[in-house]
Amino acid sequence: MKTKMSLLAIAIAMLLITGCGKDPVANLTDEESRIYITDHDSSANFSDFHTFYVSDSVAVLENGKSKMQLTEAGQAYIDAVKQAMIRNGYTAVNKDQHPDIGITVNRIISTTTGVISGPSYWDMYGSYWDPYFWGYPGYGYYLPYNYAVYSIREGAVSLDMIDLKNAPESGELKVIWTGLIRGSNIYNPVVADSQVKALFDQSPYIKSL
Amino acid sequence: MKTRVSILVILAMVTFGIAPVKAQDHPVKFHLDYNFSFPVGSMTSGFISNTSSRGFLGSVTYDLTPHWTIGGQFGFQDYYQKYPRRVYNTDKTQQISAVMSNSLQTIPVMARVEYQPLLSSQSRVLPYVSLATGINLVSYNQYLGVFSNQQQSTLNFRAQAGLGARMSLGKTGKWGIEAGGSYVVSPYNKFGVKDLNNLNAHAGTYLRLQ
Repeated sequence: MKTKMSLLAIAIAMLLITGCGKDPVANLTDEESRIYITDHDSSANFSDFHTFYVSDSVAVLENGKSKMQLTEAGQAYIDAVKQAMIRNGYTAVNKDQHPDIGITVNRIISTTTGVISGPSYWDMYGSYWDPYFWGYPGYGYYLPYNYAVYSIREGAVSLDMIDLKNAPESGELKVIWTGLIRGSNIYNPVVADSQVKALFDQSPYIKSL
Repeated sequence: MKTRVSILVILAMVTFGIAPVKAQDHPVKFHLDYNFSFPVGSMTSGFISNTSSRGFLGSVTYDLTPHWTIGGQFGFQDYYQKYPRRVYNTDKTQQISAVMSNSLQTIPVMARVEYQPLLSSQSRVLPYVSLATGINLVSYNQYLGVFSNQQQSTLNFRAQAGLGARMSLGKTGKWGIEAGGSYVVSPYNKFGVKDLNNLNAHAGTYLRLQ
């Protein structure tokens, strides 16, 4: 009886020790949990652009609907983008001064399908950011690269850079760069600057002469 | 070190008593061991090189003769490695900065044959050599940050050669302790990893069932 009990105790101890394996994401810090994804138009020469304008509010996207909002965190992101662009040699101008680049800041809370992809993000982009906002009513947005599909159930922040300089000639609003931040505790004014910096750090081609 | 082992063996013999093991009367044994695994070879090249202390081995064996034993073996081992943040080029124009974690679990199911050169009447500590072959259910998951990036389960061939020793304990000699090591060969050929070869060290207990 004693022997059986000992063996049972050893078996239970082994099961407890091995458990179901180590949970790979359980012990990640907020910083470790985050990923930064950037993509860009390979034909765009970022040194050809000199001025920029960052939207003065944030588009909040939730299940195919959007609203404009400006919270403390949103303002922190807008300010961080402005500073990053200035550090890279660009000049901030007002929207009515015909900026070369327009930048939007977006907060994605969730989507109907749970993913962010062409259909769920870019096809509706014109409803989030009416081309009229940039002074080009009737124009369409054009994404010259494949936007990967990501599951967005936990929230994300995206930045999009639009070529306004060549829009009159091309007849479209070409998206020349996108940045996406995903992970824990990202929509927070304290971390906004470091999040934007991470996106720009991995995009060294964004430099104005 | 040798002295310490000898003292431990004597203590165990005094504690549990000395009794002859009648292997022929109880040919079926159940083994349960705690297992450490040390990845070697291709697996350690940017995939997982961390030692895994999260594993166990179980087996049921039958003593065909006083020297030869056959049986079946199963187990579980969990491997994990986290890599510091870096930027990965995922496309010509796309970059992802992330902390990458590789997580891999193996569940081997194998047939096993064992040769024991000494008889229980000759020594209480019985060394053995073993060979085993079978399948390895491998489950792999790669995470970028907290997001699952790649996930795949596969069935692979697995073979192992091992050696160890066991010692019977208890008044009836129906159970005992064992320890050993093995070298595992397991081809993989996924994600640039050719094999999941590893060295193992295990220790545990056995019980004669009938």
